[in-house]
Amino acid sequence: MSKGIANQARVGRQRARVGSKRRRVDKELEERVAQRASELATANEALRESERNWRLVLDNIPGMVAVLAADGTAQFVNRRIIEYTGMTRVEEYKEWGTNGTLHPEDLAHVAEAFTKSLASGSPYQIVHRVRRSDGVYRWFQSSGVQCRDASGQTVQWCSVLTDFDERKRAEDALRERERESRLIVNSIPGLVATLTPAGEVELVNDQVLQYCGGTLREMRQWATNGTVHPEDLAHAVDVIGQSMMSGDTYEIIERLRRFDGIYRWFQVRGLPFRDSGGRIVRWYVLLTDIDDLKRAEEALRESERESRLIVDSIPGLVVALAHDGEVEFVNGQGLEFFGLPLEELKHWGTNGAIHPEDLPQLMEDFTQAIASGQPFEWEVRGRRFDGVYRWFQSRGYPLRDPSGRIVRWYNLLTDIHDRKRAEEELRRAYDSFADAQRLSKTGSFITDLVADEHRWSDETLRIFEFDSATKVTSQRIRDMVHPDDLRSFDSVMARAMTGSDVTFGFRIVTAQGAVKNIRGVAHVIDQIEGRPMFVGALQDVTERMEAEEALNKARSELAHVARVTTVSALTASIAHEINQPLSGIITNAGTCLRMLAADPPDVDGARETAKRTIRDGNRASDVITRLRALFSKKEFALESLDLNDATREVIALSLSDLQRQRVVLQSEFADDLPNVTGDRVQLQQVILNLVRNASDAMMDVDDRPRQLLVRTERENGDRVRVTVRDSGIGVDRQSMNKLFDAFYTTKSGGMGIGLSVSRSIVERHHGRLWAEPNDGPGATFSFSIPLEPIPRSHGR
Amino acid sequence: MEVMGQQPLVSVVDDDESVRESLPDLLRQCGFAAQTFSSAEAFLASEALDETRCLILDIAMPGMSGPDLQQELIRRRHQIPIVFITAHSDESVRPELLARGAAECLFKPFSEAALIDALNTALRMR
Repeated sequence: MSKGIANQARVGRQRARVGSKRRRVDKELEERVAQRASELATANEALRESERNWRLVLDNIPGMVAVLAADGTAQFVNRRIIEYTGMTRVEEYKEWGTNGTLHPEDLAHVAEAFTKSLASGSPYQIVHRVRRSDGVYRWFQSSGVQCRDASGQTVQWCSVLTDFDERKRAEDALRERERESRLIVNSIPGLVATLTPAGEVELVNDQVLQYCGGTLREMRQWATNGTVHPEDLAHAVDVIGQSMMSGDTYEIIERLRRFDGIYRWFQVRGLPFRDSGGRIVRWYVLLTDIDDLKRAEEALRESERESRLIVDSIPGLVVALAHDGEVEFVNGQGLEFFGLPLEELKHWGTNGAIHPEDLPQLMEDFTQAIASGQPFEWEVRGRRFDGVYRWFQSRGYPLRDPSGRIVRWYNLLTDIHDRKRAEEELRRAYDSFADAQRLSKTGSFITDLVADEHRWSDETLRIFEFDSATKVTSQRIRDMVHPDDLRSFDSVMARAMTGSDVTFGFRIVTAQGAVKNIRGVAHVIDQIEGRPMFVGALQDVTERMEAEEALNKARSELAHVARVTTVSALTASIAHEINQPLSGIITNAGTCLRMLAADPPDVDGARETAKRTIRDGNRASDVITRLRALFSKKEFALESLDLNDATREVIALSLSDLQRQRVVLQSEFADDLPNVTGDRVQLQQVILNLVRNASDAMMDVDDRPRQLLVRTERENGDRVRVTVRDSGIGVDRQSMNKLFDAFYTTKSGGMGIGLSVSRSIVERHHGRLWAEPNDGPGATFSFSIPLEPIPRSHGR
Repeated sequence: MEVMGQQPLVSVVDDDESVRESLPDLLRQCGFAAQTFSSAEAFLASEALDETRCLILDIAMPGMSGPDLQQELIRRRHQIPIVFITAHSDESVRPELLARGAAECLFKPFSEAALIDALNTALRMR
């Protein structure tokens, strides 16, 4: 509003000035008109005629024309103007400064320019708005030129108004567009440049300058100043040059130097801009930073390469499946393992690649996994190229796109065949270990006595008749110990608490009332915080002990059988031993009778023969006594005995037999032999057995003396040894140990029971019996027993 | 030990001393001359070898056994009738010995009558 008022005031002043000028001009004109009225009177009519003519012309010009007086006052407006403004009277136009003919906003500069032009007389050209008849202002360019008369005086101004509205608006829009474009160009998150048709840099946007850290001038030197990476420069120059010639769009991937000297990859695209005549007026160049992209691509390529490498070098079979489960990819190992091409592997459900036994379950699980989208894992056998099925662990994971849809399944098959086999073997080993424990009635345990923690094997629990839920404690074990064995149990426990290895033997009474003989060992394997950890094994030896008793009994029976056998074998010898004195008795008795019956009776002779009879009778009696002792069935009876005596008796019994076998007997009895404690008869049986064996061994020896040496001696320490040495066929070392097996025999007629029984007898005396080959022919059998046998221990 | 020409000499070979003690007395009571030897070898080495009318011979002896001596005598063509005596009551040896020409085989202890019968048999064989 205030601006409007100020304008009005200015217009007012101007009008006043214009008014005074006009009045002066008018006055001058009136004077001249008056002066020359007469001169012109004649010419007036012609002039009026002429005036009418150019008025007609002006009115018909297809343009807006006004004629102003030299002072600028409107003198004439043609029909176009009148038609436009709707103002018919020329006076109205004289008031253009105040009546709104011109747009109020334009008044000032119009007045200024107009005044200036009037003053200088130079033509004017003003752009301003003129009100149309309907009140709408439109832009016009008002151009005015002076019309001078012959004297050079300005007489009039001729003004043409050109409708400028469309153009003005177009220009404004263009300017606006340009402004916006520049804004856009500078706001583009990219680098933009323009080139001249010759390819020189014309302009670059701010981003280019910021990126390069240089000026436009420097940008123009891009081909020489290192803006483009040296390696990429030749190519860039080449491409741009070609494009400039061909006018084709170009694209270069090149490295451009950043302000900090680092080159980054750019995609540079140039597009020609042509004018309406098709001539290239400019190149627009867009430079896109693709460094990150390029690096990402490289990284991706690298990672893909690596992935492929990994997939192919994974010690497993990798299978990629489509979302619906169809096999899409199998890695090298997979193809190699199955020995089938990918196409074939798509038909794994039918072509035997999967073990038939595993297939139905696999199909079911697989279908379910695919349907549910859940990762899967199972074990399955796959057929190798050579037809061998191997166990695999198959694990599958779905790959989902950002929206969560499954795009692919990855399936890794790991060969677990060996592991599976090992597991089976382990299971078998464990089973057999458990079986072994069960069969041998041997249980194992790991015990931390201090913490009272006991880990028992199944068999240990079974022996104690505990179920697996039983919490084993030392007290619970003790509660089961047979009252008679508690003292021994407690002392073993006390010893174990000190961290020593222990052996133990005690009886337990189970909940069922069964009495079991337990024997075992426990070793300290570790000390944890000063507490001994024991690992041990125990056995239920009840049956074994029963068996031992039975065996002992059997052994006694066997010993008896052996004795009887010996008796039968010795029958001849026995008969001989008895028949000899009997024979003497009978003969002597007969002789005695004959001597007494003689005449005269030979009393002295009879007495002599009677004495002989008695002597032979005693001799027979002795033999019978010895035999009875030797062959009577007696229990194991310990007594203190002299092995020399015992051996002599055996030799006495065997002597005739040995003689018959033509064996040369030599005996060496130690003088200082101490008595031993043992079963006289059983030890004599052993000696007899050895002597008979020696004799038998020499039965077929004819090329050398059949020598038999029987020796007694004291061994180092408190032992006594009896040695029987022959010069028979001998025994080879390999057979040496088998000799003592029951029923092993080298004799066609023997029972082979002798040596094994002999050994068991010697062992009952805590002695040992052994054989060794001689340096020369024959073998030597020996046994040695301690002077005082260790008392029989519990349970033996 | 040549006694009275007509008394036939009976030689006893046995390693058992009681036999050597007792048997000669009985033989003499029965009217024989008797001589004893403790081994076959001793008998073979003696002069009695040629004079013996009958031999009472133990089977089992150390060194040369009774049967061995029998064989040896056959080999030397000394046809001395033999009465074997043995303390080993093994009947199986008897037939073999008789087959080889022995007059009898007596098992100890034998009766006086059995001995005299055997001796008579032996002497008749001559």
